Amino acid sequence: MAASGTFGYGTEVPLCDRSLLGGMVSKGIFLTPRAGTPPPRIVETPSGMLNAIGLQGPGVEVVIRDYAPLWASWDFPVLVNVNGETVDEYGELAARLDGVPGVAGVEVNISCPNVREGGMLFGIDPAAAAAVTAAVRTRTRLPVWVKLTPAVTDITEIARACEQAGADALSAVNTFVGMSFDLRSGQPRLSFRTGGLSGPAIRPLAVHLAHRVARAVSVPVVGIGGIATAEDAAEFLLAGCRAVQVGTATFVDPNAIGRVVEGLRRYERLLAPPD
Amino acid sequence: MMEVVAPLVARREVARDMWVLGFEAPGIAGEVRAGQFVNVLLRPGPLLRRPFSVYAAGAEVVEIVLRAVGEGTRLLCGLRPGDRVSLLGPLGSGFQLDGAGQGVTLLSGGLGVAPMPLAARDARRLGLRVTWVHGARTQAELCSEAEADELRWATEDGSLGVPGTALDAMPDGQPGQVLACGPNRMLAAVAARWPEAQVAIETYMGCGTGVCLGCAVPRTTGVFDRACTEGPVYRADSIRWDDLPSHLHYTV
Repeated sequence: MAASGTFGYGTEVPLCDRSLLGGMVSKGIFLTPRAGTPPPRIVETPSGMLNAIGLQGPGVEVVIRDYAPLWASWDFPVLVNVNGETVDEYGELAARLDGVPGVAGVEVNISCPNVREGGMLFGIDPAAAAAVTAAVRTRTRLPVWVKLTPAVTDITEIARACEQAGADALSAVNTFVGMSFDLRSGQPRLSFRTGGLSGPAIRPLAVHLAHRVARAVSVPVVGIGGIATAEDAAEFLLAGCRAVQVGTATFVDPNAIGRVVEGLRRYERLLAPPD
Repeated sequence: MMEVVAPLVARREVARDMWVLGFEAPGIAGEVRAGQFVNVLLRPGPLLRRPFSVYAAGAEVVEIVLRAVGEGTRLLCGLRPGDRVSLLGPLGSGFQLDGAGQGVTLLSGGLGVAPMPLAARDARRLGLRVTWVHGARTQAELCSEAEADELRWATEDGSLGVPGTALDAMPDGQPGQVLACGPNRMLAAVAARWPEAQVAIETYMGCGTGVCLGCAVPRTTGVFDRACTEGPVYRADSIRWDDLPSHLHYTV
């Protein structure tokens, strides 16, 4: 699948073999439009990139009006990544998306490191994570996935709290909070000061956390973190994930997902479930 | 837009430490317009692609111009003929030329020469007179390939042409259609004098295709839009220059 924030609303990635796509998660949205953070928003680091986009987007009504009708005609499912500054906002978003043709599910983002209110703050406390999950669960019949942050002491505690609150699946993991300084100005290189680290740099960390989550819960786990090749994806599947999302790699190679899916055929025997 | 695995076929130094690299990419070469760019991937190399304005284009070859400012550009400058890169392009909006309008003035500072040979080509194809005003810190850093009906130089140390920046070397009177590229600080000064000028700006960039939202450009309408898609060419007075970083530093 395509990871949130790396495939837009499904209309912005050229040259991708969409027949190979298992699904996509939309750019994270809020109830209302958001301008996002000022530039610089991204900076490359060794084997990775830091981003602080700030969930720029048009808000849920525009997404329902302009994009959902397209999604309804596509061959793969589209989940909407939902964000709020309060528990109620998450619930309200879930309610607005319930029953909208083209929306196959919601991915609850309690792990965005690049907003001042909400976001990751809900993902670092089991009670808050459960409250958001429950608020979404009670307001929609859609499948509810919860996207976890790696920035916690014990990710299994958060994972279990979300499962008990009604999550149908868990996405593990979002970006790691990082920082980089410009040695000429002495200032952080991102205007938001910190950003989310993604790309191959985080992959072994993400594989480990996804593995811990997969062992802690019985709902499916979707592995995310630095996947660029079929071999990378296979690692997450061996770690116990039932699906994977490809993110930053799409920025480099628009057809990264197609190559991952094709390449995974080489590992069918390795990855076959035990009889 | 297409992705082309392209071999390096030409390489020359056009100013001190400033290199033109030519890649065989007929599809992109045939399609590209002045002000558009290609996003270049090097393997082995840094994670992300590197965006470059197309400097010139023949029937088969796409040229870019660069200086080694970080790891990616250092590796690109070290390429040898036959070495391959992946080019994604042509990308972005490009300059709009009015063939029925007045002549064009190209205004470039330093590496801001990047889109100008193609702009001069497109302007001449429309029958427009081309004035090119080019500035650099010193004579050795002026691009040796500037060509126009009228050519004016500026150097900050006064070693050739008018002492000062390219703006100081602008001819008196009406400059016609102004196309400018250079440091964002210079483009802000262009905006103050010629609000209708078209400026090609530089930002950090991720994907180059409009999806990552990393190349945010603050517009006077209050929104951030994407240099890679709505830009990189903008009407000069449509940008909030104070909110656009004026110096980009590269470490990877």
